[in-house]
Amino acid sequence: KLFHFGACRVSLSMTEIRAGFTAIKANIQSRDPVRTLSILSHPHSLHKVKSPDRCCVTHHLFTFYVDKVFKHCKTEDSFVNRKISSIANSFLSARRKLGQCREQNNCVCGEESTEKFKQILANYEGLNVTSAAMKSLGELDILLDWMEKSR
Amino acid sequence: SGELYCSLPNPRNVHFESINMRNVLRWSAPEGTGDGVLYKVKYAVYGIGKWIRKPECRNINRTWCDLSSETSDYEEQYYASVKAFLNGTCSDWMETTRFNPLTDTKIDPPMVSVSSTDKSISIILTAPEKWKRRPEEESISLLQVYPGLQYNVSVLNKKTKKRWFFSISNNTLVVPWLEPGTAYCVSAQIHVTTPVLDSGFSKEHCIATLKDK
Repeated sequence: KLFHFGACRVSLSMTEIRAGFTAIKANIQSRDPVRTLSILSHPHSLHKVKSPDRCCVTHHLFTFYVDKVFKHCKTEDSFVNRKISSIANSFLSARRKLGQCREQNNCVCGEESTEKFKQILANYEGLNVTSAAMKSLGELDILLDWMEKSR
Repeated sequence: SGELYCSLPNPRNVHFESINMRNVLRWSAPEGTGDGVLYKVKYAVYGIGKWIRKPECRNINRTWCDLSSETSDYEEQYYASVKAFLNGTCSDWMETTRFNPLTDTKIDPPMVSVSSTDKSISIILTAPEKWKRRPEEESISLLQVYPGLQYNVSVLNKKTKKRWFFSISNNTLVVPWLEPGTAYCVSAQIHVTTPVLDSGFSKEHCIATLKDK
């Protein structure tokens, strides 16, 4: 499936990613007891990001998930671990493609997207690494819903 | 909040049941309790987390509570919780898993209308509407909610029992080169590619092509 992020276009195996997440969603979200905090959607919803900033925010988020989330989400369940690594591989390839487009200066980082991403990092750093990573992984559908909403 | 020591068994299987984003909280009565159990309900937006009581579902004896209004923003995710009361004692609050209206709803089949000529039938499909608070409110088709929404259409020749399947993105389909004076039955299903959501197939709509002139 082809996604348009500003001037950049990235193909993403969204059906596999969604299927992988759906298979582990209950398991992962049950490891996150904190209802009062969200990494991605509060205080400012991801859905409020304006379209020119989509490319930059998406690249930041791919990097965030690759560097700060997937590697800290090891579980005792090999099925869950396999699904996580499959999703991680999809994100790795998407980040590479988006990174290439970004290098051609097609992916401007406006003030709003920089601010939004700072907020996400602040939310993440407000928890210990494992809890923050598990919560972020449990919010993957928030990211996927946002990406698909205006692909 | 002045509640007594809670020794009542807990409500069971507390979950959201959602169809076309009409989001109803449902549960089963605590084990071993007969009549007379009352319940109260609260809900929370994920990430904000402040529990909000639902006044219309306070001291109710039914085992469901319509939270469609409170969970109508499908860019948010939610939790809900139920507590039981009987003869001055109570249960613990029992919570749902995290509810995402966009991915956790079920979708009804499309509406199907058919017309025919002597050698073709025309099919018009209408996706269901998202639940709305009041009939006079503006209707939102699920087509607007799910940009990737498609239709799977089945056409059966009643005489030869031959069946065709079509997968279409727009909502009209003309099936040409058919036999005159023959009955055909049409059924359709909604298929959303991601998030993966499939409705059931609609009931069959049968129509006969006109006889040869």
